[in-house]
Formats: sequence, C-alpha cells, structure tokens
Amino acid sequence: MTNDGSVTGSHRSRLSRLAVLAVALYLPWQGEAQNPGEFLLDFSEAELRMILQHGPWPPPVSRDPSNRVSGNAGAIAFGEKLFFESRLSAKGSISCGTCHVPERGWSDGRKLGVGLVEVDRNTPTVQNVRTHRWFGWDGSSDNLWSQSIRPLLDTREMGMTERQVAETVRSDADLACRYEKAFGARPPADDAAVLVAVGKALAAFQETLVSGRTPFDDFRDALANGNHKAAARYPQDAQKGLRIFAGKGNCSLCHFGPNFTHGEFHEIGIPVFKKAGGVDWGRYEGIKRLRANRFNLLGPFNDDPARADGMSTRHVALVPQTFEQFKVPTLRNVALTAPYMHNGHLATLADVVRHYSEIDPTLLHMAHMYFDPLVPEAVPTDTLLKPLNLSSIEISYVVAFLMTLTDTETGKPRKPLPACR
Amino acid sequence: MKIALKICTFLAGAIVPFSAVAQSCVADLPGGRRVESERYVLSYRTKPEKVAISQHFAVEMAVCPKGGEPAPESVRVDGFMPDHNHGMNYRAVIKPAGDGRYEAAGLMFHMPGKWDFIFEVRAAGKTDRMTATVMLQ
Repeated sequence: MTNDGSVTGSHRSRLSRLAVLAVALYLPWQGEAQNPGEFLLDFSEAELRMILQHGPWPPPVSRDPSNRVSGNAGAIAFGEKLFFESRLSAKGSISCGTCHVPERGWSDGRKLGVGLVEVDRNTPTVQNVRTHRWFGWDGSSDNLWSQSIRPLLDTREMGMTERQVAETVRSDADLACRYEKAFGARPPADDAAVLVAVGKALAAFQETLVSGRTPFDDFRDALANGNHKAAARYPQDAQKGLRIFAGKGNCSLCHFGPNFTHGEFHEIGIPVFKKAGGVDWGRYEGIKRLRANRFNLLGPFNDDPARADGMSTRHVALVPQTFEQFKVPTLRNVALTAPYMHNGHLATLADVVRHYSEIDPTLLHMAHMYFDPLVPEAVPTDTLLKPLNLSSIEISYVVAFLMTLTDTETGKPRKPLPACR
Repeated sequence: MKIALKICTFLAGAIVPFSAVAQSCVADLPGGRRVESERYVLSYRTKPEKVAISQHFAVEMAVCPKGGEPAPESVRVDGFMPDHNHGMNYRAVIKPAGDGRYEAAGLMFHMPGKWDFIFEVRAAGKTDRMTATVMLQ
C-alpha cells in the first residue's frame, strides 16, 4: 500500500518480498527441532516491516550544511578538547563532559542534571545527535551548534559570558592553535564569532558520537538477509519483548526508525511540576525559545545560505497541544542512561514500561486543566496512549528487548589528544 | 477539527462520478488524486510523490469550482491522525500559483499509521471541506 492509498508495482514487489521473507524465515523452523539456545518467533509481515525500519545501523554519515566545519578533522579535535575543557565554566569546575559522561552513555546517571546548580531536567545522551531535528527535551534548538552554545551561557549550567568564552579561546595557545586548524585563521576579536565557532566545533565532535552495533542490529540484519539461523541466536525473551514493542505496545510509532525516535514530541503523563516550583511547559516554551534564539537556523550564523534546513523552524506550530510535551528520546544504549524521562522521574527501564502499561489517560490532558480559557473546545487530545495492561513477565520481555539495544563500544577509554602544533 | 471531520466529505469516484463541470477544469494535476465537495473539485499530489515518515513534504493542489460556483478565495491543507486524534506539529504555508493552483510547503506526517489530508476551500462566506486518507508504513 502506498501513501496515496493504492498499490503500485514497486510497492507490491516490496510487499511480496516481505511476505516471502516471512515465509522463508518461519517455515523451515516449523516441525524442525531447533538447537538449544536458538529460537525464532513467527513474526508476521507487519511485524517484520516494523522491525526492519529500525535499521540499518549505523546510519549513513552526512555533513551538517549549517556548520561549515561539520566533518572537519581539525574541528572534531578542537571540539573534543572543548567538550572536556572545564575552563569553559564560570568557576572552572565544569565541562560538557561533567554531565555527558562517556562511561554513562554520555549522560550522568542523575535524576536531574547538575551544573553550577541543579537544573530542572534529566541530562540526555549526546550520542547519535547528528540524526536529530530538534535538540533538548523541549526542542528549543534546531541545530547542534546552537544547542552546544546554550549550556555555556546558561547561568545555572556553565555560567559563562560570550566574552569569557572568546577570551578563554584567544588567550590559550593550545585552544587558539586548534581554532586555527579548524577554521583556518586565528580566533578573531569578534566575541560572537568565536562563541559560534566554539559551538560549531563542539557540534563537529558530537556528530562523531555514534553508538555501535548491538545484538538487535545483528538480529534485524539477519531478518533482512533471510538468515534465520543467525536470527535465531537473538535471545528468546528479547524477541518476545520486540513483538510487544512493535505490536500491541505501539512503541515503534514514536520510537520510530533506526535511532528509535521520530524526533518529535509527546505528552506521556509524567508529572511536570518542577522541584523549585512552577510547571515545566516543555515543547510550548521550547518553541517560543527557539523563535527567540539568535542562533537558530533562520538566523545569520547558519553557514548554509539557502537555509534549507530551516524548514522545520519556519513551519513549527505553537499550539496548546504542545504544553507539557517532551521530545521522544533515542532508545539506543538506553540501558546505560537511567533514570528516565525529562525529569528523571522513572528509575529503571521496568518502571518505564510499567508506566506505559498502567498509564492514566486523564493525566494526558493537563493543558485543559491549567489553560482552559486558552484551549478551544475543538482542540483534540491524543488518544494514542492507553493502558497496555502488560503482565509482569511481558514487562520483563520488553526490558529484555531494550537491553539488546546496548553496544559494547560506548564508554571505552578515549585516546588523549596530541598537543596542537 | 472533529467537526470538520464529521462534515460529509467523500472521495471523487467513490460515490459520485466525476462531473461534467469538473472534466472541463483545466487545473487537473497529472498523477494527482481527486477529492470533491458540493462546490469544488480538488486535485492534489505530494512532492516527493511518496511521503516519508517524519520528513517534510509539499502538496500541489488544483481547485476547480463546479458549474456556477465562485472561485476559491482561499485554500488550506492540514493533516490529522484520526486514530490518535492529533494533527501535525507543523503548519503548511500555501501560496497561489495561478490558474487555480496552489502550493503548500512545510507539511510533515511524523508517525506511521493512517493520516487524513484535510482540504478547506473558502468562498462566498462558506467553507467546503474534503478529506483523503493515506496510510504511512
């Protein structure tokens, strides 16, 4: 079926291939004794389609057109140096790497992030960020270099000024040398130009933080290649969990694609009251901040004169439904990044699955409760999320599947950078 | 939105044969899909032809009034997931392209599943709504 409702030749052919694949994978195993430790569920055509769209991995590498040093080796090295540079914080005590810890899946293991003071949200991983359209839990940045500048200037996080960031780079021989390697000239006197360059170098480095292949990827590719023997080595519990994830759990609808996120936002019934008081309005405030951000893709610092990547920023809708929505996170290496949700409200993966299993739909309509006069009667409320009523063994299956999204490379010691000459 | 969806709309050809007036419409789009209301026939096609999940796309529309009906004053297109009861996270911007044609940019269907295109044609104080369903997988 195509998206115009008809079945074209090429799509019919694709469906046929899926059907053949389903049969090829399953039939040989019917009536045949499977070896101990080998097991393959009889995935349906629809389940196979859903499973296959979670790959292949890793994704093809592409440069960020808004960042002229994206993919530039000198900029990547400069960005790595900056990422772990604590002189980029007001007290000289915090770097990006303080919260985005490689060994913790580039997160920090805390419920709420801690910069110069504790902040209101959980620290998201910076792995696989090149694939994102929006950055941060509220998507207040539309590009990675802007998102990298934000914590530098946030008084609760690193607390620097534009001038302090620029001076730090200009006055340090190694940083200034790396700047020149990346950008082809010594850091200029223009503080804003240096700040943006720092953001772009940080982005160039983070673009390289692609998670490795996982047991799920091997399983997915084995299915794609019709290699049922290899597919059958994937753990039985994980297969059962995957079936729930891609089937009745509807998880794949939002955790869509190779990076297990469609990159957009949903309200999922997590409490939004901040520890210090007040409400975290999530995406609604994020869109307002995005539009006010001088570093967004529609602004003067985008290196792409065509502003082609600005489409989402031009068209994003600031509507009441965005109250309390937060970004759908990647699930790759999710086992390494507990606790979960925008405010670290859920401690374990089992808690997360249980949340969806027992979700209270009345919690999904808080916008109406708080902003009744602003919400027209006809505003729809999302009816996707309903209690799944999973048994405890089903919850354990889904967790078993999520565990197989963990690679073995993340957290390995990084080679020290040679001095810049 | 709900009210809009409940208003009786139908796909051209599904119930009523394409009318003689519509056949004279010069703004029919090759390869497009047609919907119609009491007063209008609308042909649309997407760019790219196959809509990808969570990727922006554009919609080209050609709108023709049936016999004696006024020319459209404005045309609008939106997307809606009836099974989830939510729409798009983006607003399409529509520009007239002459000869009853319109180009909408900035749409995005961000999830797999059933989506409805909702077209609105406004003229002479009335709004005609038409829907067309697509399945994204």
